[in-house]
Amino acid sequence: MINPMNATIKKGRLPMVRFDLFRSAKLLSILMASGLVLAVSSAAFAAEFPEKGKTIQMLVGFAAGGSTDVGARLMASGMEKELGTSVLVVNKPGASGQIAYTALTQAKPDGYTIGNTNFPSSVVSYLDPARKATYARKSFELLALHVIDPALFAVKADSPFKTLKDVVDAAKANPRKVKISTTGIQSDEAFAILQFQKMTGTQFAMVHFAQGVASAMTAFLGGKIDVLCANVGDLLSQFKSGEVRILGIMDDESSPFYPGVKTFEQQGYKLYNSSSRGFAAPAGTPKAVVDALSGAMKRVSASEDHKKRMADMGLTLRYMDPVQYNAYWSEYEKTLIELLPLTK
Amino acid sequence: MEALQNLLMGFTVALAPQNLLFAFLGSVLGTAIGVLPGVGPVAGVAMLIPLTFQMSPTGAIIMLTALFYGTQYGGTITSILLNVPGEAASAITCLDGYAMAKQGRAGVALSIAAIGSFVGGTIATIALVLAAGPLTRMALQFGPVEFFALIVLGLSLLMGLAGKSMVKALMMGIFGLILAMVGMDPVRGLPRFTFGRMEFMDGIGFVPVIMGLFGLAEILVNTEEKLTSVSVAKMSSLVPGKKEIGDSVGPILRGSVIGTLLGLVPGMTGSASSFLSYIAEKKVSKYPDRFGTGMIEGVAGPETANNAHANGALIPLFTLGIPASPTVAVIMGAFMMHGLIPGPFLFKEHADVAWGVIASFYVGNVILLILNLPLIGIWVKILKIPYGLLFAVIVAFMMVGAYSVSNSTFDILVMVLFGIVGYLLRKLDFPLAPIVLTLILGPLMERSLRTALDMSQGDFGIIFESPIAVVLLSLAAVILVAPAFRFFRKKTETLSGEEGA
Repeated sequence: MINPMNATIKKGRLPMVRFDLFRSAKLLSILMASGLVLAVSSAAFAAEFPEKGKTIQMLVGFAAGGSTDVGARLMASGMEKELGTSVLVVNKPGASGQIAYTALTQAKPDGYTIGNTNFPSSVVSYLDPARKATYARKSFELLALHVIDPALFAVKADSPFKTLKDVVDAAKANPRKVKISTTGIQSDEAFAILQFQKMTGTQFAMVHFAQGVASAMTAFLGGKIDVLCANVGDLLSQFKSGEVRILGIMDDESSPFYPGVKTFEQQGYKLYNSSSRGFAAPAGTPKAVVDALSGAMKRVSASEDHKKRMADMGLTLRYMDPVQYNAYWSEYEKTLIELLPLTK
Repeated sequence: MEALQNLLMGFTVALAPQNLLFAFLGSVLGTAIGVLPGVGPVAGVAMLIPLTFQMSPTGAIIMLTALFYGTQYGGTITSILLNVPGEAASAITCLDGYAMAKQGRAGVALSIAAIGSFVGGTIATIALVLAAGPLTRMALQFGPVEFFALIVLGLSLLMGLAGKSMVKALMMGIFGLILAMVGMDPVRGLPRFTFGRMEFMDGIGFVPVIMGLFGLAEILVNTEEKLTSVSVAKMSSLVPGKKEIGDSVGPILRGSVIGTLLGLVPGMTGSASSFLSYIAEKKVSKYPDRFGTGMIEGVAGPETANNAHANGALIPLFTLGIPASPTVAVIMGAFMMHGLIPGPFLFKEHADVAWGVIASFYVGNVILLILNLPLIGIWVKILKIPYGLLFAVIVAFMMVGAYSVSNSTFDILVMVLFGIVGYLLRKLDFPLAPIVLTLILGPLMERSLRTALDMSQGDFGIIFESPIAVVLLSLAAVILVAPAFRFFRKKTETLSGEEGA
């Protein structure tokens, strides 16, 4: 209960005021009284978060109905039950999430505005100076990692490539000839391919489908692209109908959606990459409020109903608490700092 | 025969009372969302998804799809009556539809639009039942290279949109292309012409631009004149005459084909279909000069095409599991929220859902036709509202619509700015349609060319390796060169004529 008070003193302008006040005992007593009131109200505030009837806004930087949005909405509906107040998803799509990240980091840090944070977009947007982001790593108070959608390599069922090694051999024999798709130069697919190239000493012809995975898939099924690099959630139907063969998944465990498909690791390539989605509050949000929010997210992620719904949507639930998520973020940021110059 | 049997089974699902009710609700809501300027199908479907959580999967999807193609009906209404496109795919209908309304033929235009929408939607659905497989294989032939060639062909037909002055039309076309350059570079990912504003990173919003150029500019022009209602006097003719029906048959059939085929191609939008249909009608017509003055063909073709497109866009979802447009992507999300994965497997695992939904497309289109025809009389009465009042309401709705696209006040500014731009351009007698056309097709053209060059690692030769692209580009070349010959021939003719005199 003391923590929010400390945070206020550290962050706010109070210390300077206090310095002036030492000159007057009268004023000091007023300060103490007001400080007490502040402490009491913060404590009450923390205890009462969220206040009854006050809506929590969840900013989502991607369009309604997309997989980020769907995952966020499932989380929001779970949190409503946990917190006893409404959690409203507000879509602010645009600039690969940057518009929503900006809104989130500039929002009042009171816990009533939270937002989704996607990898790589949230990280790459502030790492790339051309994006002119107004926020940085420290602007986000991380709440939880929710979903990872591992990247994968797939080929058409009639492709000569049977394993990842076949792809590597072909790329080595014909540098810059094997066509592989991404959904944009700063997408997780592009970073994954850059890592794979570095690891195997190959060069692919990277084809960027900035319009999204649907266009990439069309070109791929039409035979215009040799290898489709996409995410686990993208190929559920095509895998089932036997149109595609998935060569490998970039995760440390195999995916329940693709029984029998090996990971990259199992084939000797230590490559892990995914488009992952978590949640954050603006920096400066009181610790008790952060705890209330991240606790609710933890309980939602652990519930059977939520697990089932996520699986139905083809979303790979992978919960991390704020400490683990922070560590993951740091590690991911390091990787991107290495890879970003290669995209220029 | 098997398809027919399955379809009959689908009808038993679609005609079950609760599903019929959902189709009806979706149709009504869709029409309403279409009528509201700016609030398009994506927003509509997305808003409705949470409500469908508790429903059966079949009912939920029937309602959402009905809402989707219902918006294509509704979008027409304000385009024709008020020159305010209810949604993007109906923007082109403003040109002749509104001209017809000013002549007191609003009822006729609305009737033909409703009939065309019905035919277009139905033909696309028949295509889904009978030829989904072959059609999809055909659409898959269209990779980035072929797509680029197709858009070049579309843009070279831009001349067809020229009004009195070809030069002015081309200037506006270039203006649209310049606007289309704003935003993130599609391949390098670097911001271009954004003036450091994050809001420009995704380019200039298409919906606010057309609402400004057409709707707001129209209101500004009208306020100059004395505020009297449109010629309500001659509103008697609600039912199209024999000649108007006869004139509409060709455009409706062509619109159905254009919409269905373009609907199959992921990345093509309904607006591209309706614009290309309009251009095609103008090319085919014996009186291209009269377009924009209230030609029924200019309403029938595009309105059919955008509905055929809406239904056609659902074909790749069922055959490949690929969402061909943003709205279909949202509908795909709805499938998955109910534990269904759209794609060929759906027909095997959940045949009742798949065929029930498809049958509901027919049912929904019939409901929409029945719903829309008698309502025309009521819609037309909107025009009897005093203009001062009506304008205020429309402007308010346009503000909400512009905001709703991505919950951004910036888009309202864009709309207002383009309202002023549109007003000035109209005063100077510049045509507005070419701006909108290039604004839609420009980014598609650039992306497909850049993707094609990614594939060949920078070698332009890839364009000439595709037979389809070569044919399309040759056609474009012919279209571009032919008027030049005609121009010179005419000149020599007039010259010789003068000599003779």
